Amino acid sequence: MISRVAESCFWLHRYVERADNVARLLRVNRSFVLDVRLPEGARWRPVVVVSGEEERLSSLLGDDALDEGEQVQEYLTWNENNPSSVYSSVKWARENARTIRETISIEMWENLNIFWHWMSGGKGRRLYKSDRDAFYLRVRDAAALFLGVSRQTVLHDEPFAFMQLGVMLERAGQTARIVDVKHYALAQNGASGASGAESSQVGETAVESAQAMALLRSCSAIEPFFKKTARTPAGRPVVAFLYSEPLFPRSIVHCLGQASSLMSEIRAEAGQETGVTSMALLHKLVDSVKHNANSGAIETNLHSELTRVIDATSEVCAAIHSDYFDPSFDSSPGPMTSQIQEQA
Amino acid sequence: MKQNGKKADGRPLFDGYKPLEGAYDEIFGEEGVRNDVAVPIQALDALSRSEFVKRRSVANSAFFEAGVTFSVYGDEKQGVERIFPFDLLPRIISAKDWVHVERGLDQRVRALNMFLLDVYGEQRILKEDKIPRGIVEGSEAYLAKMHGVVPPAKTYIHIAGIDLIRGPSGEFLVLEDNVRTPSGVSYVLENRAMMKRVLPAVFAGSHVRNVDEYPRRLRETLSSRAAADVDQPNVVVLTPGAFNSAYFEHSYLARRMGCHLVEARDLFVHDDYVYLKTTHGPERVDVIYRRIDDEFLDPEVFRPDSLLGVPGIVRAYAKGHVTLANALGNGVADDKAVYPFVPDMIRFYLDEEPVLGQVETYICERKSDRAHVLANLESMVVKAVNASGGYGMLMGPTASKAELEEFAERIRANPRGYIAQPRIELSTCPSWIDGEMQPRRVDLRPYVLTTASSSWVLPGGLTRVALAEGSYVVNSSQGGGSKDTWVLDDAS
Repeated sequence: MISRVAESCFWLHRYVERADNVARLLRVNRSFVLDVRLPEGARWRPVVVVSGEEERLSSLLGDDALDEGEQVQEYLTWNENNPSSVYSSVKWARENARTIRETISIEMWENLNIFWHWMSGGKGRRLYKSDRDAFYLRVRDAAALFLGVSRQTVLHDEPFAFMQLGVMLERAGQTARIVDVKHYALAQNGASGASGAESSQVGETAVESAQAMALLRSCSAIEPFFKKTARTPAGRPVVAFLYSEPLFPRSIVHCLGQASSLMSEIRAEAGQETGVTSMALLHKLVDSVKHNANSGAIETNLHSELTRVIDATSEVCAAIHSDYFDPSFDSSPGPMTSQIQEQA
Repeated sequence: MKQNGKKADGRPLFDGYKPLEGAYDEIFGEEGVRNDVAVPIQALDALSRSEFVKRRSVANSAFFEAGVTFSVYGDEKQGVERIFPFDLLPRIISAKDWVHVERGLDQRVRALNMFLLDVYGEQRILKEDKIPRGIVEGSEAYLAKMHGVVPPAKTYIHIAGIDLIRGPSGEFLVLEDNVRTPSGVSYVLENRAMMKRVLPAVFAGSHVRNVDEYPRRLRETLSSRAAADVDQPNVVVLTPGAFNSAYFEHSYLARRMGCHLVEARDLFVHDDYVYLKTTHGPERVDVIYRRIDDEFLDPEVFRPDSLLGVPGIVRAYAKGHVTLANALGNGVADDKAVYPFVPDMIRFYLDEEPVLGQVETYICERKSDRAHVLANLESMVVKAVNASGGYGMLMGPTASKAELEEFAERIRANPRGYIAQPRIELSTCPSWIDGEMQPRRVDLRPYVLTTASSSWVLPGGLTRVALAEGSYVVNSSQGGGSKDTWVLDDAS
């Protein structure tokens, strides 16, 4: 298939998945900060940090804005200068869809179109003002509907594999980021003189247990967690579940494993000589993640392990780009490198 | 002729129809329906008005749902998609008339192709002074860089759209030539599919010639013009992208021909060959049906500042490694200031008399012509030589004083840029307007393909209709609509 079309398939689904994740994270954090008394720097700042938007937000709105719930929500939901805001994600999903209308189904196009018009035409804005929670739920539902419709209405061949690959790699990165919020919040607790650092030695505080619940909720994992394990939802088991439970569809191990089989499907169609670099990187990442899930690395060194997963996922995406989206006779990317997509 | 208070009802369709005075009506002669189109007209007339209205609304909503639209991009954020207004009453052309049209188009396109080969080669026609050198080399569309580059099979014009009108006595006249990227054929095919769906009974007895083989013929045309050493040529359609107003057509043709629809950024040039970027690696491209203007094709050659286009593609073309359809530099042949010389080209290259007439044209660059145009501006139609789509045009008889003055100024400032023609009384065709059949002016764009051994004219074409009462302007950008064009078979 044409590289550009493959790239648009990949990003179309990635953007929808991203809108879903950002909305989920914001909704959960709204409820979380109501439940728990936290120092200012641990309330909204972590959400900005894991979105990778710390620098841009503070340069646009000032550093204080990172601790203002309304400003953070506004920025991560609506800001057009933020390439991963919910608004931008839906917009770019639709732009990608528009250029590959021959490849996607009518149903997918109509669905996304309705989603976009709702976001951009005032209705979404009004709901955001009147019932914030309902707004984020609506975004989640719209994303779920789109992903479901695409599964039901297109051929499950190469374009579809690229769509799913976009979802899985985005989701793996997002889950890693969301889990990292907890780490960040804990570190902040410790730094601000609360008893966080110590108490994690002796047992979970109320704050931490609320954080653990929020973390599960951010990944739609409450029920799966309780079905899969009898343990109380404290920090360690929750992190372990989100990191390594192979049957949970948002866990890092699951998403990367799925990405790996999708890559094999793509190579079966495009040729075994293709995707050599990206496949090798992805295999390496999957192996290390499976190994670390059992080695205790996530208990002792969670932050650096999550950072490693996020970075390695980005490397896989970059390799997919040069393997599939911008092939040429030279190994180095030439002047034709596509610059339209925002890599995250 | 409007019967107030009377709703669309069981009356025959053409009840009360009155042709426009001074214009040729395609369907009605002095003694009623013209003999050679009588069969389909009687079948249509047998539909009651209420039935016709019902089927008309089915057609309109089906067009919208199927997404047979063109996009209007007013502001950057949201493209508005509209259907091309469609009039359900077909324009019908007799078998006899069509034979004449076909002969004329074949002749004209052959001559235009020989003209391009000559202008970018020996330049015999300039040396023998049949066309002033200044007119040709002064054309904005003339590409001196293409001198000496001969395209595969010496074909410059693979696809032509020659706009025809009918004058007051019914004679076909060429209004303008389009040999760059003529558009609209997808509407011809879609209109026809719709007509068969909503008026099957009328269709069944009418012996209308089929238009559906166009995509196959186009594919053959393109493949047959590949560079000689290719067995199974890789043909692609090159579009400027989804924002282009004709994007629907580009994707439609690619789909119907079963080939890739590509954008410039999907292509790259390596060792003077053109490649397509695919997930299984670079794939060589042999023939490009490009729907992008010359100047945006290759930033190395035309616009160094442009981000559009495929760097190096002109080098690949000049070496004969890739076929561009249509060829580069064709615009000099459909320049409106070159148009007055086409009859001379036909005589010069083919030693034949032109089959089709054309409209008398004043070239503003010529002093005597200019004086005449400026003195009679209010009765003239003035056109910019390098524009299309009804843009850059003055309709003298309906223009305001300020518009007339503005155009006079423009002509004085840039005489090479304009031509003028008397306003022709375009023929009319009954059209369904406000619950009645009313005469509306039409033109016709037939499509001509240059296949391996000869030319092929699509039996039909895009009939555009000026839907506003009294209007002469049929362009879709200016409130025009379209009709299905029925070319009848001998048998009817």
